[in-house]
Amino acid sequence: MRRVLVSHVDSRLARRLIKALYHDPEVVLVLGLGTGPAPGYLKPYRDKCVYQRLDLARPRHVLNLFRSERFLRTRPNSVVHLPPLLDARRVPGKLPVAVAETRCLIEECKQRPEIERFVHLSSGFVYRAEPGNANVVSEEQVLDFDAASEIRAFVDADLTCQAELKNPEFRVTILRPATIVTEAGEVLQSPPLEVPEAPLGFDPMLSVVSERDVASALLLALHADCPGIYNIAGREVFPRSALARSLRAVARPTLPRLLSSAVSLARQTLDLLRGSESGCRRYGLALDTRRARESLGFEPQYRIELHGPDGRIETVAVR
Amino acid sequence: MSGHQPGAQGRERLGGTDPFRSSDGTVPYLARLREARARSTPSEEPEEAPASAAAADPGPPVPEVALEDPKPRDGWFDRAAGLLLDRDEERRLQAAAVSCGDGAYDRLGISIQTCRRTLALFKLLHRYYFRVESSGHEQIPEKGSAILAGNHGGLLPFDAAMAVVDVCLRANSPRLVRTIVERWVGSLPFLNVFYARVGQVIGTRENFRELLSRQELVLVFPEGVGGIQKRAADRYVLQPFRVGFVEESIRSRAPIVPVAFIGADDQAPILYDIKPLAKLLQLPVFPVTPTFPLLGPLGLLPYPVRYEIEYGEPFHFYEEHPQSVIGDPQAVRKMVERVRGRIQSMVDRRLRARER
Repeated sequence: MRRVLVSHVDSRLARRLIKALYHDPEVVLVLGLGTGPAPGYLKPYRDKCVYQRLDLARPRHVLNLFRSERFLRTRPNSVVHLPPLLDARRVPGKLPVAVAETRCLIEECKQRPEIERFVHLSSGFVYRAEPGNANVVSEEQVLDFDAASEIRAFVDADLTCQAELKNPEFRVTILRPATIVTEAGEVLQSPPLEVPEAPLGFDPMLSVVSERDVASALLLALHADCPGIYNIAGREVFPRSALARSLRAVARPTLPRLLSSAVSLARQTLDLLRGSESGCRRYGLALDTRRARESLGFEPQYRIELHGPDGRIETVAVR
Repeated sequence: MSGHQPGAQGRERLGGTDPFRSSDGTVPYLARLREARARSTPSEEPEEAPASAAAADPGPPVPEVALEDPKPRDGWFDRAAGLLLDRDEERRLQAAAVSCGDGAYDRLGISIQTCRRTLALFKLLHRYYFRVESSGHEQIPEKGSAILAGNHGGLLPFDAAMAVVDVCLRANSPRLVRTIVERWVGSLPFLNVFYARVGQVIGTRENFRELLSRQELVLVFPEGVGGIQKRAADRYVLQPFRVGFVEESIRSRAPIVPVAFIGADDQAPILYDIKPLAKLLQLPVFPVTPTFPLLGPLGLLPYPVRYEIEYGEPFHFYEEHPQSVIGDPQAVRKMVERVRGRIQSMVDRRLRARER
């Protein structure tokens, strides 16, 4: 029987996960962590889920949690560590992946023998993107150590977890999802989509995956005794421009068209000359999910579709 | 709570097939996990499957295409393409595009819409500009993965383009050829997008394996940039071959079809290669041809030479050798030299025939 600790339960993805854990007969208790007040969606699940507010980036807070009465009562034996998932279009230029949070949590967890499994949700953008519009990348691909800070944060958090992969008593599973698309049309964890402008002459293909499929993969990783690294992606890939169009269709303050184009072109030209933007803004990554399929049994159950000239995003169940 | 729930419309759209809940009370992802466990029961992984057993398993079948009438398209380019392509050619493209799936793009970036537009244009080059004559189409496998390996020439890869058009429009069973291109092409603005949309793929091992695992027909130029760096005096002399395509052929059990291209080396003969300038601009070659740089970028356009394409008898190295031969560089090199020798002899024969 699993007693699961889930971090950052205040996202849509976490809501899916908590709901699934609630209905899971193998899970008896869920301890949710978050930085704000308890999310409203937790109310119907009160008999199985408890919530604790704390700042995971502070070692003292995490230590206090692990010594707290509530923790000792719940005695979690598995941990699902989610990064703070924010919509790329609402927080442009910021993807607050707290490396410190991952470090604090994993350090405390590995000292508790009762905690057997640690599932970390990383990102598919940790890989170094090689030249090309779309390249298939497996889990062996080199990570992007020269990336911009927001991607570098993903890389550092990923490496922190990788360091524990060979620990036989502490089973760590790292999931690297592609751009996550929610049912509401939000796009999560996608550095190339944070800025509306793209380098001139490049339109990389981006793998996408439904939030429901990511939640499903987290559950599979939680139950499977298969520590390791797994790419998680849906079947579809889209050019960055098509996804960006769909984001702009929802909300984006715009300058008059000509002025906007001129500013954008100037910025792109400068970026191109400087070569300062991350590889993933120029080159595409198509995640190879063969390992997840064979070891975890992961198979995407939802399709992502773009409709109309404005590229409206829809999640559709695979029949 | 309600604020977080998808609306009624959303629920309808999702068809009520939530993987986390099912009507019979089971938890679907647990069932899938059990299946995965059953599949991954420890087995003494036979790294080298017996040739006969592997031969009996040709992989997933390529789906048969139901030839539909071409749909009317709206855009200006699409209407122009519709005028240039006749009904039979549209049907051949539809049949060839089956392997790319039913989405707008496949994982490696191909767009059938862009392919259609490009095919319409390149069909004209194929028929009227290069006047391509081709033979040996029966050697191209109608189904399953296969590698076309050819000699390379000319500054711009019109040899690859002509092969793609030729196989799509003239092969017994139309197929979409996926060409492997040099990595540096992927760093060129605009060109990297165009290449990907028309089905060309950057030459990494992962991409190559992905294509072969999807039962695609892959065109490689094992000479690499050596092919386009040849000077006019070395025309039709094949440069040393790389070995990766033979290794992947054995690993994926894909036959290698040798292809001889005549005409590519004449389309823009290089008189001199300014290497320091090429290095400065990070290009494989900075050529001096009879027309470039004299006429500026226009000088890069190919001359209207007559093209000949010949497809030779396939090599099935995976039937002759076990997979462990991949670890033996000398044996692999011998196989590569056999392919190179065959292509060279096909090229020489064609050149002699042309002189007569």
